[in-house]
Amino acid sequence: MKKQNKKATPRRGKLGMDRKIFIVLFLAPTLIAFCTFYLYPLVTVFFTSFCKWDYTNITKPEFWDWDQLFNNYKYIFETYPYFWEALRNSTVWALLGVFFQIPVATLIALAFSRKVRGVKVIRNIYIIPCMISSAALGMIFLQLYSPLYGVVNPVISLFKPGYSENILLQKGTAFWAMTAAYIFFTGTTTLMILGNIMAVSEEVREAATLDGASGLKQDFYITLPMIKNTLKTVSILAATSGFLLYNEVFFLTRGAAGTYSISYVIRELAITSPRTQFGRANSVAFIQIIAGMLIILFVNLVYELPSLWKRMVGGSK
Amino acid sequence: MKKIIALFLALVMAFGMVACGGSNGSKGETSAPGAETQTNAPVTDAKGDAEVLEFYHGYYHEESEWPAAKVMRDIYDEFVAAHADGPVVFKPIAVENRAEIVSAQVAGGSFPDMVDMDGTIPQAALSQKLILDLKPYIDENGLQEAVGLNYTQNVIDGGIYTVHDQIETRGLWVNMDVLEKAGVTADDLKNWDSFTAAMGKVTAVGGDIYGYAAGQGSLKMMYAYLASTEEGRAILATPIDTNVIDSETFATAFKTIAKMDQVNGSQYTTPDVGNLMADFNQNGKAAVLSNGVWNASGIAPELTEKIHPVVFPGNVAMATAGTGLSIASGMSEERTALALEFLKYMTSPEVQTKIFLGVQANPCNTTLDLNALAKESGDPIVMKLAEACSQCNGAETVVSDVSYKWGGDVGNAITNALMECANAGTDIDARFEQLQKELIALIG
Repeated sequence: MKKQNKKATPRRGKLGMDRKIFIVLFLAPTLIAFCTFYLYPLVTVFFTSFCKWDYTNITKPEFWDWDQLFNNYKYIFETYPYFWEALRNSTVWALLGVFFQIPVATLIALAFSRKVRGVKVIRNIYIIPCMISSAALGMIFLQLYSPLYGVVNPVISLFKPGYSENILLQKGTAFWAMTAAYIFFTGTTTLMILGNIMAVSEEVREAATLDGASGLKQDFYITLPMIKNTLKTVSILAATSGFLLYNEVFFLTRGAAGTYSISYVIRELAITSPRTQFGRANSVAFIQIIAGMLIILFVNLVYELPSLWKRMVGGSK
Repeated sequence: MKKIIALFLALVMAFGMVACGGSNGSKGETSAPGAETQTNAPVTDAKGDAEVLEFYHGYYHEESEWPAAKVMRDIYDEFVAAHADGPVVFKPIAVENRAEIVSAQVAGGSFPDMVDMDGTIPQAALSQKLILDLKPYIDENGLQEAVGLNYTQNVIDGGIYTVHDQIETRGLWVNMDVLEKAGVTADDLKNWDSFTAAMGKVTAVGGDIYGYAAGQGSLKMMYAYLASTEEGRAILATPIDTNVIDSETFATAFKTIAKMDQVNGSQYTTPDVGNLMADFNQNGKAAVLSNGVWNASGIAPELTEKIHPVVFPGNVAMATAGTGLSIASGMSEERTALALEFLKYMTSPEVQTKIFLGVQANPCNTTLDLNALAKESGDPIVMKLAEACSQCNGAETVVSDVSYKWGGDVGNAITNALMECANAGTDIDARFEQLQKELIALIG
């Protein structure tokens, strides 16, 4: 051991610089791609959000004067009629992703992990709808919600006889109808969680069984803590996809009845508006980026809460 | 190691910031990615010996899905074949997202070689002079009648930057059978008061029968309502501003249509009229459909006798040249010449006849005798189309669709407000006040 260390030390010292260059060279393509396709657009979005950039100066965005630097943000926060509605909706969809979609996906994954007859067939059947694009799902749900031939109104009529309104045009119900159109489609998330559940070693399970933990107890105390990092990752994915919702809004309501989303607002400002308001759209996009980072922080915090709590309780003791 | 990577990132970041903040000559200016005005560099064909003129159009549909798309593609292909040996290869490209393609290119300071535009002309394209002014060519070649309504409606600062080979002509389609069941006569459809009452009578019939598909169609009806009065026509002739939004005329138009929509019912309200089109064209459940003359081709044969085109109440029709063929400026002489040749071809009587008979749309060329062509064809659908076109062309008031002037965001806001009002119990006055605030904010 000692001999090996002696050999390794000079090699590391001698090749140290070469190794660094080697690593940098290997990292360079990724870093260049990252900077070109992620960092540069981010920087552009940030700077142009302080620019007057619309149809009047499409090729020459101009920074607002210092005293008007926040003009775009001011317009978005104080004047634009759909921003706060969109931010509220997108945030709720992000939270629902974490607190509803992930628990549902986890429960389904736990059920699928049971070794019962026919589970593989059910697993495949469950995945099929998740392969449908969100645009196609939007169209399908448009039919489901149709007051004329959909299946939702007859159910509502059981509790509210004679009900014939279009739920997609009523504030409140429209939001939940839109939520239902995507939130149950957890195929990819379920598969990721299931893969990790399957990776929990048999020895651990057997040990837990010997200790008297089986069924739900084993899931709760053994399996879930062991796949915590995966749950955190899929939670971030679910939250961000909820926050970025667009297709459902476009196909179901086009923003009617209080269903604007942040992504839909960006398109309205940049594309739908004949005034091509790129500067304002980019200020919303920058808020979206910041909100995305906050979501990641929030999800991390949520998953750290139990250990923080333990530490606090332990400390007070 | 961390220091090297950090340095590398910092350098790239600095490069990005410099590139973003790079001045174009004046202080405080920054250029967008790829923002310098680009010339339309010629693309060569596969052999590399001829320039290519790319033409984006929206007729991508399968023939089974929309036969008219195939007719249009055939028209384009005939032009391709006729110019196969020329110095420039004409290359039609069917795409689903013309608006996005144009928008993205304009943002980058360029314009597609040639495009059959969708929606409005981006102001940014005009301000950068990216689009060729077609008026000199039209005047030199005496194509005024060939381009028809485009010559008067599409003038911007004395130039014509787009020519639509089809005129978007709108009125109403009515099912007389359904109207008779409700005791409504054709005379009841002639003014807005009696029309509104008539729709109420249709709703009262109940069962599967209803008035009309509200939502997208309601927006057009609101514009038609505005066109039925002098004050309203003045509003339609101006860009939307606070005077328009705060005017009594605008409020009356919105509230009249909103009340009618509420009686009609939210279950028959949709942001896309296509969702309920079959109820009118195929199933005979709806009394009225607010749609263009092209709807003639969608009517089921068994309903052809019962369904007729009429103009909007107040003897109003909408005829809009809208956006169509636009050509990039700054191309080579050969490519520009071929693009202009294509414009002439598309507005020629031969092609316009094909558009009328095959695409079943209102052609822009005003020299055609549509009724004679329809009679000659003997096709009941074409005859219905000719009837619709001549009704609309002969309306007392013909206005263009103001959506092109006011923009998609304004139209969307009004449509959404109308759709929400279709719900029973919605306070229309309160919703209108909210709409006013939204519109003022949108145009701000």
